Amino acid sequence: MIKIENLEKVYKTEEVETTALNGINLHVAAGEFVSIMGPSGCGKSTLLNVMGLLDKPESGSYKFIDTELLTLNDRERSNFRKRNMGFVFQNFNLIDELTVFENIELPLIYNKVPAGERKKLVNEIIERMNIVNRSGHFPQQLSGGQQQRVAVARALVTKPKLVLADEPTGNLDSSHGNEVMELLCELNETGTTIVMVTHSSHDASFSNRIINLKDGHVISEKINKSRNEELI
Amino acid sequence: MFKLNLKIALRNLWRNKGIAAINIGGLAIALAAFILVTLYFTYETSFDKENPNYENIYVVGITYPEFKTNYVAAPFAEAIRQNFPEVVSAGVIKDSAFELTIKKGKNTLFTKKILQVSYDAAKILNIQPANGLIKPAGETERLTYLSTESMKTLFPNKQDDEPEMVGFGASTSGISGVINGSIKNNLHSNFTFDGVSIGNELGKNDHYNMNDYTIYLQVKPATDVENLEQKITGLYRTELLKDKSEEKSIKEIKGISTFLDPLANQHLKPKAGNDAPYKILIAISVLGVLILVIACINFTNLSIAQAGKRAKEVGIKKVMGAYRFQLTKQFLVEILMQCLVAIILALIIAELALPRFNSLFQVHLSIWDTANGLFWKIPLILVLITFCAGIYPAIVLSGFKPSLVLKGNFSTSKQSYWLRNALLVFQFSMAVIFIIGLFIINSQLKYMRSEDLGFNVNQVVYVKNLTMFNNPAKFGSIDFEPVRQKMLKVPGIKSATVATFIPGGQNGINSYAANGIKANIDFVNVEFDYFETLDIKLKEGRFFSNKFKTDTINSAIVNESAVAKYGIKNPIGKIIRGCDIDYKIVGVIKDFKTQGFENAIQPTIYTIKDPCGSFKTEILLKIEQNKMADVLATLKAQWPEINKLDGEDFRYVFLDELYGKLFKKQEQLESVFFTAAVLTIFIALLGLYAFAKYITNGRLKEIAVRKILGATDVQLLKLINSSFFYLVVVANIVSWPIAYVVTNMWLKTFAYRIDFPVLPFVTTTLITILLTIITVSIQAKKAVNANPVDALKYE
Ligand SMILES: Nc1ncnc2c1ncn2[C@@H]1O[C@H](COP(=O)(O)OP(=O)(O)OP(=O)(O)O)[C@@H](O)[C@H]1O
Ligand SMILES: [Mg+2]
Repeated sequence: MIKIENLEKVYKTEEVETTALNGINLHVAAGEFVSIMGPSGCGKSTLLNVMGLLDKPESGSYKFIDTELLTLNDRERSNFRKRNMGFVFQNFNLIDELTVFENIELPLIYNKVPAGERKKLVNEIIERMNIVNRSGHFPQQLSGGQQQRVAVARALVTKPKLVLADEPTGNLDSSHGNEVMELLCELNETGTTIVMVTHSSHDASFSNRIINLKDGHVISEKINKSRNEELI
Repeated sequence: MFKLNLKIALRNLWRNKGIAAINIGGLAIALAAFILVTLYFTYETSFDKENPNYENIYVVGITYPEFKTNYVAAPFAEAIRQNFPEVVSAGVIKDSAFELTIKKGKNTLFTKKILQVSYDAAKILNIQPANGLIKPAGETERLTYLSTESMKTLFPNKQDDEPEMVGFGASTSGISGVINGSIKNNLHSNFTFDGVSIGNELGKNDHYNMNDYTIYLQVKPATDVENLEQKITGLYRTELLKDKSEEKSIKEIKGISTFLDPLANQHLKPKAGNDAPYKILIAISVLGVLILVIACINFTNLSIAQAGKRAKEVGIKKVMGAYRFQLTKQFLVEILMQCLVAIILALIIAELALPRFNSLFQVHLSIWDTANGLFWKIPLILVLITFCAGIYPAIVLSGFKPSLVLKGNFSTSKQSYWLRNALLVFQFSMAVIFIIGLFIINSQLKYMRSEDLGFNVNQVVYVKNLTMFNNPAKFGSIDFEPVRQKMLKVPGIKSATVATFIPGGQNGINSYAANGIKANIDFVNVEFDYFETLDIKLKEGRFFSNKFKTDTINSAIVNESAVAKYGIKNPIGKIIRGCDIDYKIVGVIKDFKTQGFENAIQPTIYTIKDPCGSFKTEILLKIEQNKMADVLATLKAQWPEINKLDGEDFRYVFLDELYGKLFKKQEQLESVFFTAAVLTIFIALLGLYAFAKYITNGRLKEIAVRKILGATDVQLLKLINSSFFYLVVVANIVSWPIAYVVTNMWLKTFAYRIDFPVLPFVTTTLITILLTIITVSIQAKKAVNANPVDALKYE
């Protein structure tokens, strides 16, 4: 589904130029669950941002089911993003002024889903996430794990083809972390493609494939046998 | 989506309700000031605008080598109409020369101003009696109408609009006449009056040296006015040559030209007057706009300060697929809503402040008057301030890159650092200029109040009088001496005199020659005791006295300025010639300021006998302080015996009150400036207060870390204050030259003024620094006193 070739990204500041991505090649098949690992500063978040169309690389190609995405203009990128992708961040990034329900509803609104259907979809997912009695709460009134579940719910509510997660468990303790990982697995089982950045090999073990980055290169790829066997 | 955005906006406002209130309240106050200024501006610039011919009406004025005037000889109007086809109509107008008493039964009306209007002028200027403008019959008929208020005084029970017989002057005068009806006195017009007297043609047989009418022309639309002006000048010169009354040389006539001055100019900047009212109006309007700009800056600055907070929201929405323009729109709508609330508040504040404003400016403005155009101006203002206050934050906020802002430790301070500081400096500069201006205006006014004027109007009563006391007799005038003797018999009256003009009014001008120099100088015709009554100081020689027979024939007293003007050495005994009389100078008085502080003291000659002078009607009495009430009562009772020709009505004014009116305009300006300065400072401080709160909130973590590392409270307060401190210092330095130029310009409008003071600059700097430190410290104190652990946990 995703074909990335020779991707390069350079950050220019006044003093230095940092090559965050240095010729990345990456293929992700539909329905795959891919983990990206590597030392801090190797370009994982940058890669994820480029994949999520939040950042533009200097050169290379990024094809999503045969559509070249890097040549799109801002508006087309927005449209593509809201129709096909969902995001989960390490620091949750919920809007503090909106309730749980409203936060989850937001992407539906931008996708112009009618109000009645919005309500149905949000309630469905709130039930699935087991946060029903929290739907009127504001983010600050929730624990970290609950907040991340809301963030996952928000990423899933539009039924995206691709979910991008940047260290989704980074701010959570292991039990809350596991909850989130299980959610992602369930999601993957229903056919959603997931690309996740993580520092934890425990989390990575939930995925089909682990890609190792260093200094903006892919240095190794590993098929996660246990998980694949499990699937079979 | 709108609903959700609304929720975010409202919850945001609610969370920061203190600051939102400050922001909206500040804007509301500024808007209220702006609305009042708009109302005032519209009012002042629309005098007579209801006249359907407004655009095509001109005053004909004359430019002499030394001055311009609107007073022209009446026959010239007809000459212009006959000669130039582009002139549709021409009419003349004259003020009444004196106050008139009108009686009906027991009711008495004192009129100050009965306008003499030609029928054509009434038509041109839309002067319409209640029952319609009627053409008077023949050359002599006058149709007289009284203003509605005057009618009320004279005929309290009158219902119809039938003509009434009335008596003029004293009840013994035997003069009577007809009042033909009522006429509305429109205060929003250049032509105000107690009554109007309309004749077919006024001053028809006047000569060209009798310049006492004002000519109004109505020209055809799209007339080339400059060309007409030249043609009228040509005509005027020819008419002057033809006229035998005034033998002016051709060279003199060549130096005289005419001008056309649009009706629209008459109220604020007549060519033959001064344009101070116009300048003041512009100054007030600029103040109004500035205050609004400062309030808008608060908005912008607070939005920028809030940006860090809103950045996350922007990032998330973009990740969800929001377009940039959607976000721009969202922020603009948010600010629009706040501005809307501010405007509604502003209208309420303006309505509450109007009575005070009206009394200060002596106008009758109302928000609800549709003629002021507020109904379309307000929406325009709303859009404009939304744009000014919101466009920058809206564009900056919507432009945030999600990949940057969502990383967590995003800070907006760097990007908008310069703009934010520039805006703050601008705000403070304005405040500094206003405070300096206030100090300097205040010092000048204080100087004006305390400075020795050179004469003393305390306990001087100015008695209004119709009798002319010129001697030798001129048009039935009588000798003042018997009247004076009668008045001096009243216990408490120290001295009594009569003159042609009172100090503070306008003097006459005539040509006098001395020391080989011929010049136009001011003249005042007086009686004995004039200088004593006004307590004017003698420099050399003596005052007039009945011990010297020649004083009533050819003695003159001049002021220091006149001596200087003619360059006379040892003036006593020297001759000054005017009106075919060789006057001998018997005394020189010290200059005294009768014309306020704006105008330099004019060279002036005082004489008792002057065939070319004016009517001596202005009686001045110096009265003992503790007998004042008795004296006035006695005079009132005995007036018909004392001054038979004036009738039974004793009318007077305290001269110090009259003189005080000269200060009125400056005091008005001071009030406006004071309000503007206080508002500016207040709004700027509100902005700073809220801004400091955001800045310290943004630095909570830094403060906590520093505190844990051992910083003391004082060190932290210093740290937070320092950046603001530099801004205020910069603002002061930037505004000094501007304040210097502006205030100096104002001071230069005074002939007598204070030396340019330095102290206000220093004081203002100290005040602004102090206010800033207090404001910022109030905010900083909270942050510094907070438990550092809380701040860190919050992250
Ligand atoms: N906005 C930026 N400006 C300049 N350099 C940047 C910027 N963002 C990232 N970088 C640099 O790009 C490189 C890759 O950063 P990136 O955030 O992708 O690392 P990462 O692999 O996600 O690290 P971590 O595991 O610590 O999150 C780093 O060297 C970083 O310093
Ligand atoms: Mg990262």
